[in-house]
Amino acid sequence: MNLRRKIIKFFAETMNIKEHSSSPSGDHPVTDKDPLSIHVAENVITLESIYADCSDVMFRHFLIGNRTKAVLIYIDGMSNIEEIDKNMLTPLMRQEIETHFDVRTILEQALTVSSVKEIKTLEDIIKEVSSGNPVVLIDQQLQGFAAGLSKWEKRSIQEPSAESVVRGPRDGFIETVSTNIVLLRRKIKSPHLKTKTINIGRYSQTEVVIMYIEGIADKTLIDEVQNRLNRIDIDGILESGYIEEFIKDHPFSPFPLILNTERPDITAASLLEGNVVILTDGTPFALIAPTTFYSLLQSPEDYYEGFIIGTFIRWLRYTFLLVALLLPSVYVAILTYHQEMIPTSLLISVAKSREQIPFPALVEALIMEITFEALREAGVRLPKNIGSAISIVGALVIGQAAVSAGLVSAPMVMAVAITGISSFLIPRYSASIALRILRFPIMFLAGTLGLVGIMLALLTIIIHMCTLRSFGVPYLQPLAPIRKSELKDSIIRAPWWSLKKRPHWTGDYNKDRQPNGQIPSPAKGNE
Amino acid sequence: MMERGKISPVQMALLMNPAISATVLLLVPAITAKQAHRDLWLSPIWASLIGFFVVFITYQLNKLYPKETIIEYSEQILGKLVGKLVGAVFLLFYLHITGIIVREYGEFLSGAFLQHTPIAVIIGTMVLVCSFAVIGGLEVIGRASEIIVPIVMLLYLFIFILLLKDLEIENMFPIMEKGIKPSLMGSIVPQSWFSEFLLISFFLPYVKNKKKGMKWGMISVISVMLLMVLTNMMNLLLFGNLTPSLTYPVMIAARYISIADFLEHLESIVMAIWIAGTFIKITVFYYVLALGTAQWLKLSEYRPVVLPLGFLVLLHGLWSARDLQELSHFLATSGAVYILSVQVVIPVILLLVAFIRKKVQQRKGSLQNESPINH
Repeated sequence: MNLRRKIIKFFAETMNIKEHSSSPSGDHPVTDKDPLSIHVAENVITLESIYADCSDVMFRHFLIGNRTKAVLIYIDGMSNIEEIDKNMLTPLMRQEIETHFDVRTILEQALTVSSVKEIKTLEDIIKEVSSGNPVVLIDQQLQGFAAGLSKWEKRSIQEPSAESVVRGPRDGFIETVSTNIVLLRRKIKSPHLKTKTINIGRYSQTEVVIMYIEGIADKTLIDEVQNRLNRIDIDGILESGYIEEFIKDHPFSPFPLILNTERPDITAASLLEGNVVILTDGTPFALIAPTTFYSLLQSPEDYYEGFIIGTFIRWLRYTFLLVALLLPSVYVAILTYHQEMIPTSLLISVAKSREQIPFPALVEALIMEITFEALREAGVRLPKNIGSAISIVGALVIGQAAVSAGLVSAPMVMAVAITGISSFLIPRYSASIALRILRFPIMFLAGTLGLVGIMLALLTIIIHMCTLRSFGVPYLQPLAPIRKSELKDSIIRAPWWSLKKRPHWTGDYNKDRQPNGQIPSPAKGNE
Repeated sequence: MMERGKISPVQMALLMNPAISATVLLLVPAITAKQAHRDLWLSPIWASLIGFFVVFITYQLNKLYPKETIIEYSEQILGKLVGKLVGAVFLLFYLHITGIIVREYGEFLSGAFLQHTPIAVIIGTMVLVCSFAVIGGLEVIGRASEIIVPIVMLLYLFIFILLLKDLEIENMFPIMEKGIKPSLMGSIVPQSWFSEFLLISFFLPYVKNKKKGMKWGMISVISVMLLMVLTNMMNLLLFGNLTPSLTYPVMIAARYISIADFLEHLESIVMAIWIAGTFIKITVFYYVLALGTAQWLKLSEYRPVVLPLGFLVLLHGLWSARDLQELSHFLATSGAVYILSVQVVIPVILLLVAFIRKKVQQRKGSLQNESPINH
């Protein structure tokens, strides 16, 4: 306990030192909140010194109504140039105006752009230009304006490859946060769906959007999420994983305490259950908080197929979760300590296949498991067109050659293969890697203490999971502590018309999902 | 307050069930059978009376001092010096008992499964795992019990079902052939186990819904009683007069299981679920020991004493007996008196003194209208 505190303190201190030494004092004056100069030339000089050596920043000088000097600033490739030409430069340069005018009249009379914003400081200019909005500064005016004409290349909406379903929507989030918000708004059209934007990252200024449904999500939860996000001080956020590690309740736990998904339907369902969603610009992965362990074992398809099938598949998943975690360890334990558990005929064939193997069962299992993990990792990294070839070679190498060379036994190959396949039954990748890691310490304990070791490992894991909380919600929520109404949607998947209550996360807040008595039955009075 | 967590009455009941039954199912059927012979299934019913009595006394004491454990209120009741002394008796007792429990655990595993592993390793790893739970706090222990206990119970009942075809009902008759006496004599040793319900005096201050505390405490006693009756009945119907001569009858019973020539030798499964139950049992005792020690020493936090106490528990486990025979003999003879006198007699004295004090104070305070609890 104390050691842990010390480690945290140490990290905190080193972080502070770094923060002081790398404060952006020598850099451009981002924090400059001074008003603009009245002379456009002066502003341009300041901006050009800020954007020195930025060849992609464009300064386009022109005259409004052939008289007043003005400058248009934008970043090449981030703004819609056709629109700028047609709706900004054309009206402004052809404008006939009096000597005395202000920015507001231009915005009201000349500019044919729907989204415009007045600008008063250098900071505003830098912010708008960096996000792709062209800025116009005018001589003899203390204000400029920015037009919302940003446009950059983005990926089209595709089916998320890691979370595919047979039945269900096939759209996935993309790297642009505004598109992702649209995807959610199309599913939840209520004005109660709120979005709050903050920028995190001293250099990256990444847009991070908190989304929730007002009236369903708990207010203290929303505040807590916001507070934790506001505490983050880092130079750049490139993926939501950065945020996840900063706001996790238990930083040293291998279990994912915040769910991440690429699927808008999962995200929308979580919003409707009262969760808070964190979208990060630049990544298709949304974060959902709070998260319980059983929600990591759910697939959206559980809810789209019939409830009997959903329940069956859930049980299949729970069973193979245990298989993925325990099978190699149980195999090692039984072979080493509890041979009497194997029926005689099976024992003979296992013993025959192990006759030539030079290693004890534990070493054999470790070699196989590590090789399998390496193959799997290689399969992800390899270019797609050779990936399949390598996996065939890998399968042949471990499967056939290793057995016939007498390095590993055939039952062990089977055990490892089943383990590998069952870890793919867990729908959330982050949960399955946590279990993959836990497999190794359990295997060591199984090799040293047999089934007793496995039990001790399981007990330790259970205790650890019982200590975990995600934003105040116990990680094993509907099972420990028991919540009767939520058991319907975790142990089984009850039919939709009987799931009347929302899971209550932190408070008892707007719990009813739907009214009673919606069980479909033949229409009455038709007899 | 030292423990900030709260548990529900159901969690308390779930904790207390394995805290009593985990070891009772192992050694006690044979010990009971030595006295009660064919009526051994009746003994737990008599023995459970002491369980109800202890729960009742503990609840009454808790009503007088709702926010304190027995270590704290014994000082209030008996005065500083005597109270501290009684507290020390309780702590040394629980240290000793926890040592005995881990020794039973170690003896069972090293006897039946891990013959070549040193017993210190077997005990040490278990104490270490339990210390994680104790450090986690009461809430964590409560939640862990909600997951572990139902699974353990279901698997245990499952083994019964698998044994059904081997049971012979004739072994039971005639019931009470020699009157009620043998079964009463046989109930003395289980009584000492039932008196362990005094442990709820350490949990009641942290139970959310106090009014249901008594009810769930009683339900817990009933569940332990039923479990013991069922176990003894199974042993009797399976082994008949052989039962007293077996050390671990339940274990041997599991060897009987043979379904479809494939489900055989399930004793490893029995051991696995039994470890889970014992884990809860050791954790409960260990937690009570740590919390009590910290309260006795007036520390602000109990977590620093957990690991040192764990080491002491390990040592007591190694010292408590030379071998299983000695341990079993102690539990069957002097152990019962020892355990009952600490866990029943002292609380009864405490309650009596507390009532007399309350009466005296009421007589005094009837003029000042003072509440005795806020004293």
